Amino acid sequence: MPESGARPQVDLARVKPYADHLGDGIVQFSFTLPVPYGLAARKAAQEWAAKMGFEHPEVVHYQELTDGYTYFVMFGESNQTVDYASLSQEGFEIEYMSEEEIEDFARHRIGRQIVVVGAATGTDTHSVGIDAMLNLKGFHGHHGLEGYKAFQTHNLGSQVPNSVLVSRAIDLDADAILVSQTVTQQNLHISNLTELVEMVEAEGRRKQIILTCGGPRVSNELAKELGYDAGFSKGTYPHHVASFIVRELAARNGPGHGAAVTDGAAAAADA
Amino acid sequence: MPSATAAPLNELVAGTRMLALVGLAKNTGKTETLAALLREHAAAGRPVGVTSIGRDGEAHDVIDARIEKPRVQLQAGDLVATTGALLRDSGVAHEQLSRTGIRTPLGEVVLARFSKPGHVEVAGPSSAAELHAVGEEMLLLGAEQALLDGAIDRRAASSPTVADGLVMATGAILSEDVGEVVEVTRDAVDLVRLPVAEDARGDVSPEGDRDAKLVQVARRVALGAEPGEIAALLHAHPQAHTLVIDGALGEGFLEGLLAARPARAGRELRVVAADPTRVFLAHRGPRWYARQGIAIEVQQPIALKAITVNPLAPQSHRFGSRQLRELVSEAVPDVPVLDVLDESYLALLK
Repeated sequence: MPESGARPQVDLARVKPYADHLGDGIVQFSFTLPVPYGLAARKAAQEWAAKMGFEHPEVVHYQELTDGYTYFVMFGESNQTVDYASLSQEGFEIEYMSEEEIEDFARHRIGRQIVVVGAATGTDTHSVGIDAMLNLKGFHGHHGLEGYKAFQTHNLGSQVPNSVLVSRAIDLDADAILVSQTVTQQNLHISNLTELVEMVEAEGRRKQIILTCGGPRVSNELAKELGYDAGFSKGTYPHHVASFIVRELAARNGPGHGAAVTDGAAAAADA
Repeated sequence: MPSATAAPLNELVAGTRMLALVGLAKNTGKTETLAALLREHAAAGRPVGVTSIGRDGEAHDVIDARIEKPRVQLQAGDLVATTGALLRDSGVAHEQLSRTGIRTPLGEVVLARFSKPGHVEVAGPSSAAELHAVGEEMLLLGAEQALLDGAIDRRAASSPTVADGLVMATGAILSEDVGEVVEVTRDAVDLVRLPVAEDARGDVSPEGDRDAKLVQVARRVALGAEPGEIAALLHAHPQAHTLVIDGALGEGFLEGLLAARPARAGRELRVVAADPTRVFLAHRGPRWYARQGIAIEVQQPIALKAITVNPLAPQSHRFGSRQLRELVSEAVPDVPVLDVLDESYLALLK
């Protein structure tokens, strides 16, 4: 047993959720059932959780959402484990730079203002994501790209048709397009995001323009599948996006300009 | 069933150097089609190369993790272009031939030859031009055919500038109504097989020539699709019957043409794009526009070799394989329609 105060050893090959103590497997989850509020509803939620494989399912909160619908918050214990140790560090690890480092990198490696055009496309009315990345104000005390000397930004706002975004990007000779998709009902973001890539391809500009997408359900895997150069999810700050763009642009300018990507396997093969 | 379908996939695509596989949506069975083709090539002892403009062969769907995906199984001697990390994860013995310098969100794309059979997740170049370059490279290195997987609903892989043949995957996932699945499929096929405008290559006049019959449309007008600008274009060229567009032809431009009734003055119009992957029709198919007097044509066609159907919509519904194949065959009579997992197809291979 570890001495008191010492950090207990985590078995990375058998990782479980943590709540009160290591390995208890306790999970908190919330969901809605289309049944009227009442004791029968509570019972139904418990049974459903048990069927999901949770042990000792416990309803800690439930309330009527609207007529005929009940919302639950539950605890339950899971016996399932995942083998974290065998999961690879898939994809690139961008070495994030600070605002000053980005300015310095851009001054030396790019030597001109980098043109970035951003929008929330299609029917998406949410400009909060794109505003946080591009506008001077930024968020959480981090400047948006507009506040950098290295960038010239054009925020086209929300509900921008892909054709208009592409047209503007070409007119402005953009180095990068930043597209935000917040609404993901019916996987609307998928067809919208692919259409943009396909339009850039149709205009013959795919190799010139860095395409990045962001949104709560965007991952690097999804970005790859859709044909983007990078995908940014929750927890992204403007300097993350900026780091990627300056490094990628430098890498595209030719070898010796600093690659945006460090690939573990390829690097190992070289060694 | 029509006799045209009575041939296995590898025979239908024989002679194609670079074959694109494109699904009309996720879970239309594109990976199953790729897997079937790989099995047939393996049985014939034919080394092939595989890459993907997106990502294929992953264990779980990136959007719906409940959906388990078929794996991409390669033989010793087959070539693959995927990221170094995914190649290493496959755990299969291989010889790394080169690094491509092509960067993706999952790492750099490398070219490798399998030394032993095994399955691998494939994530190749994200751009059409790089996909083509990698395909050529694999052919040079000894692949008899390069198989280019097309990702979600990305059609760029099927552009004639990239591939010289296409297999299209469609399926029950498109709609719970089988009639609608057939209709969406037929529209997609119409788009892929837009007629070739043989005469629209030569004397295209730039905007401004009043007597021009063929007019080159500026990108700003084509993409911006401002009704006023489109009407002005038609006014300025009263003789024009053919509008040539270099880049993307979107629905907005076509709608602009429809709205510009007075400027059109009853003219039948023809809009010519470079190839079908440059045409973006989200709401209406080419037939509908043809009925409104606007023909959509292309300079370079796509060779559609076969359509595969997946009668199953994961987590939802299922049609009869035979029913779906017959309905699609009726709608698209001259293209072989296959269900690579159906007994009738498997019987063909024996």
